[in-house]
Amino acid sequence: MEQPVTVAIIEDHPVVTEGVASWIAADPGQRVRLVQAARDLSGLHTASQPAADVVILDLELSGELVTTQIPELVAAGYRVVAFSGHSDPAIVMETLDNGAHAYVSKEEGRDHLVEAVLAAATDRPYVTRSQAKAMLADQRPARPALSQQELQALLLWFQGMSKASVARRMSISENTVRQYISRARAKYAATGRTAPSKDALLARAIEDGVIKPGEIMPYTSFARAVADHPSPGVPGQ
Amino acid sequence: MTTPQPTALMSGRYQRAFTLAVLFLVVVWHLGGAGGQLLHSRPDYGSFAFQAIMWLVMALAITAGALLVLRGAPGWRGAWAVAVVALAASTASAAASPAGQMLAVNWSWGSAGWIGVLVLLRRRFSELAWFLAAEALATLGVQAWDGLNRTDLAGFLGVLAWSTGAQVAVAAGVRALDLAAGHASEAARSEAGARERVATAELIRAARHARWLVLQESAAPLVAELAAGTADPGDPRVRVRCAVQAAQLRRLLAESDEVPGSLVHELHASADVAERRGVAVEIETAGPLPPVPSQARRVITDAAIAVLTAARSQARITLAVVAAGIAVSFVADTGAVVALPAADAGVAMEQQQDGHILWAEARWNSR
Repeated sequence: MEQPVTVAIIEDHPVVTEGVASWIAADPGQRVRLVQAARDLSGLHTASQPAADVVILDLELSGELVTTQIPELVAAGYRVVAFSGHSDPAIVMETLDNGAHAYVSKEEGRDHLVEAVLAAATDRPYVTRSQAKAMLADQRPARPALSQQELQALLLWFQGMSKASVARRMSISENTVRQYISRARAKYAATGRTAPSKDALLARAIEDGVIKPGEIMPYTSFARAVADHPSPGVPGQ
Repeated sequence: MTTPQPTALMSGRYQRAFTLAVLFLVVVWHLGGAGGQLLHSRPDYGSFAFQAIMWLVMALAITAGALLVLRGAPGWRGAWAVAVVALAASTASAAASPAGQMLAVNWSWGSAGWIGVLVLLRRRFSELAWFLAAEALATLGVQAWDGLNRTDLAGFLGVLAWSTGAQVAVAAGVRALDLAAGHASEAARSEAGARERVATAELIRAARHARWLVLQESAAPLVAELAAGTADPGDPRVRVRCAVQAAQLRRLLAESDEVPGSLVHELHASADVAERRGVAVEIETAGPLPPVPSQARRVITDAAIAVLTAARSQARITLAVVAAGIAVSFVADTGAVVALPAADAGVAMEQQQDGHILWAEARWNSR
């Protein structure tokens, strides 16, 4: 049997931590093990070795947004899954651009958090509905160009269909639906600022055949795009 | 919308008319009064050429003053520059006039005073008072220099009385008229506002009447049937009709073009009824939505009502911007397909059922 994925949770509300612990415990395969729970990031910063494979990070700790601290966690070797009550697309995009693997809103936690942690542990994309919403709502000049099929799959997924229903609707296989959505996510990993987590995600996407190296657009400097078209909620502002 | 422009324009137009009247007075005075006196007393001056030049200088001052006041209320620099030139010309002309004949030959006194009135008319009243006092002192000074001739002094006092009196009276009159024009335009403004409110109230009344007519066709017969006992509240079909009517009532109350993002607002109103039945409804919006015409909104909310009424325990409504319009979708555990409203007003309908979950989409295209 494979070793369970170790996870740390940074969350300032104990009741949420308990809820997450119960979802992890309810996983039939016991694929995830909670090794640390803290109310702020200080414990992770001081540790010399990553204390866990994946960090579940509440984006708002003691009333402060901590999206700007994600790059530090990523640099320290953590894979970050953001878990937040916010579903504002600008915050979601900023979180992903800062190097988080996935974004799970608190409403989606029960159905998606454990799966998102498992996907992050293997550097595979995981797109929640709130993440699909942010990708559909993205109006930034530096956003990646998605194909019609990718957009349609994202839209139906955002609308609330199961992947099987999306497949039936689009007359394609469920696997192809996953492929379209993963490819859209991989394209996002190729834009904006660089981060080891994004590189790992891209490398894995190429390895898995989700995306071909030629489909990846060159890195565009977000800073330059933002200077031309300033918009709120974009990192580096 | 009420804008202050038309009424301000009206008040401004009156003020301009008063300015033109004063300008006309000044020009007529300088040409007829001062010019006539100058020509008439031509042999009496030591140098007629000098007097004529002074007359021309004042004519130029009047031109400059006219340009200033016709362009709007002049600033203190421009106004006083013109006034000081007029005062200097007037004083020089008086000084060059033969002593003892002030009353008969001095043409410049009145013109200078009127020029002062013209340029200082809409400045503080004290500025005009200072100017007229300075002019009186200058003329008095010239006479004192000439040796205070008794005839001249009498003439001076006489002229001071009538000309200053007339100038002050005109300035005060224009001020009063300005004030009246302001009041009149204020009254016109409030009248226009009242008219606008009446028109708005009429629009609202008409919209309410239209909603009432819609209810007459659907809700009223249902209430009548319930009252008569021909519709059985225990019958699930009657309950569905009641739920639909309740949702439509809410939607009609929420319908209003003034609320920004009103489609979302109306969908929330439709969801409210389902929530009261214990259906968990979530509404998500991706991206800034374009405005949707009310006809299309009605088709979309009718679809929402149809799906929400059939939902058993949960429903998800999403709004997303698509290529040429918006896609509003409904995912709910209806257990069966739903009778959606017919495609209309640029809205296309689709649905797909997977097990007990229904997916329906109302897509509105702007083209």
